[in-house]
Amino acid sequence: MRTWAAKFFNGITLLGLGGVLIAFFINGRIDQYLHPQFRLWELAGGIGFCVAGAIYLVTKRSMDCCVDGQCIHSNPRSPVRAVMALGVIAVPLIAGTVFSKDSYDQQAILNRGFVQDVSGLPVRNVAKDAPPAKDPNQPAIPSAALGGDNDENSIEPALPQDGSGNTASQNGAGQDSKDDGSEQYLPRAEDGNVALEVSDLLYSQTEESLRKMFSGKTIEVIGQYMPGADKSEFRIVRMFIVCCAADARPISVPVKMQGPVSIADMSWVKVIGQPEFVANGDRTKVVIKAAQVQPTDPPAEAMLY
Amino acid sequence: MNWFHFSWQNFWFSFLALAFEGLPFVLVGSLISGLIAAFVPSRMITRFLPKNPLLATLVSGLLGLIFPVCECGVVPVVRRLLDKGLPLYCGMTYMLASPIVNPLVAISTYAAFRAQQPGLNTVVRLISGYLVAVVVGLVVSRLNPARLIGGQAVATRTGRRRTTLSIAAMPDAPDASRGVSVGQRLIGAVQLASDDFIDTAIYFMIGAAVASVFNTAVDQQIILPLASSPILSVVAMMVIAGILTLCSSSDAFIAATFTSFPIPARMAFLIFGPMFNFKLPFLYSSLLKKRAVVALGVGLFIIVGVLCVAFLPAVYANLGR
Repeated sequence: MRTWAAKFFNGITLLGLGGVLIAFFINGRIDQYLHPQFRLWELAGGIGFCVAGAIYLVTKRSMDCCVDGQCIHSNPRSPVRAVMALGVIAVPLIAGTVFSKDSYDQQAILNRGFVQDVSGLPVRNVAKDAPPAKDPNQPAIPSAALGGDNDENSIEPALPQDGSGNTASQNGAGQDSKDDGSEQYLPRAEDGNVALEVSDLLYSQTEESLRKMFSGKTIEVIGQYMPGADKSEFRIVRMFIVCCAADARPISVPVKMQGPVSIADMSWVKVIGQPEFVANGDRTKVVIKAAQVQPTDPPAEAMLY
Repeated sequence: MNWFHFSWQNFWFSFLALAFEGLPFVLVGSLISGLIAAFVPSRMITRFLPKNPLLATLVSGLLGLIFPVCECGVVPVVRRLLDKGLPLYCGMTYMLASPIVNPLVAISTYAAFRAQQPGLNTVVRLISGYLVAVVVGLVVSRLNPARLIGGQAVATRTGRRRTTLSIAAMPDAPDASRGVSVGQRLIGAVQLASDDFIDTAIYFMIGAAVASVFNTAVDQQIILPLASSPILSVVAMMVIAGILTLCSSSDAFIAATFTSFPIPARMAFLIFGPMFNFKLPFLYSSLLKKRAVVALGVGLFIIVGVLCVAFLPAVYANLGR
């Protein structure tokens, strides 16, 4: 009886875990938690937990536990331990699915601090022969321009050829951009503005070619509103993940308005305006001079990567 | 407390992210453990290891290159390997080295530091991680394993505690799985893997919860002023590594962004984190006694600290550009 009860609770624990992981994948909530590279792992894990749980529940022990010695486990014959495992492993996970808002609040961003040197972040992947970006996590500009192809061993895919037969990387980092075929890479929003991400603007602080591409353009950027020192200044914030939301680091760009704005902290906004590049010692800082700030829906994937 | 601001919203978000990322890897480690239990004869592992403890430790530190397991999955594997007769010092060396000395981590470290001497930083990280694991393994080889291993972590057999055995003294017990069909062994492997998983995941979830509290509630900005001190910067980065609880395959991307800290301090982050971040003491508790876990943490802190304060600056001064 004790073994049966322990087996039942352990099986339920595994099935519960598997159910939560699969549910998060199917309903898309996993997109807020994991880098895309890990999402299929999570689904595979969910399926694995369900299979293991089913086998655990319906099969008899085919071998002595631990095969050639006394059992090293605490749970197979102890219902109390099995209930404890259910309480520690499955219950918090299920509670998390109910209580989690799938995002951080402002305090987490303040605690972590903004990334100071965005060049240390991994360059976002770009699909081969990528058309102008529509996906919020597809880079607005070629990875070469972001520094991704600066070394010979880069695993980034080849860039599309421009009309002269040169790859875009030849107009990349640290060189003046003469060709204005680079415009073809700039993604456009429905109203014709250049649609950029916060990370693109931060990369432009260190890449002169990007500054030339963006200067004078009307851009629109989506992010979360974080109040600044006065009512006409704020920061537009996105979280950048490498692996999962636990390692998310906030990145941001300052925004200046002509007049005061009244928007709830951490709500999603679309900023339309022009980037202004300001020399600050040996560095260049970007500021968005905003013409409009509108509330907007969160993007499909709130995290950048 | 100005440095501590707890929020349930942040806690749940970080906790679920750690669970979703880590649990599949714990399952993979458990499945490997189950397969080892069902298919690997008891003395096969020890047969391939050198008898000399020093050589065995040196070889164990390199096992991650051919048998890479991350820090979440390695504990169930080591538990099983110990049960199969691997000496504790070899198991500890493998457990500490594998999350760093493996091909995936080498590639990710190189990519993360692509603009910051990537070859040198990758080599320094892997060699340093290897050396630290070997030093710990050699220290453990001088200790009585029975004083370190937790009660049920390793089975007893033939009436003697396995923990007290060296390779040469391994008992020659019959393999109970002989005569069992492959299908039954596979099912047995899944059953054992499930038991391994549940045993380990309890500690993993507690660790993930504790890590999530610190990861989200502690103001990490208070540590930044320490960046200018060679010693305090190393200490600070080890503390941050403990708090952030990152996966070793991606932590280099975060370390690379801490550009205000000197590179030896960032190496401390990359070596100490995969060996003893805040979820790992709980995982290690499924294998070691609590006192041993504490001693391991203190020892690693000192060894990595000394390495990064006293030796790595000289390495970078001579080899860096």
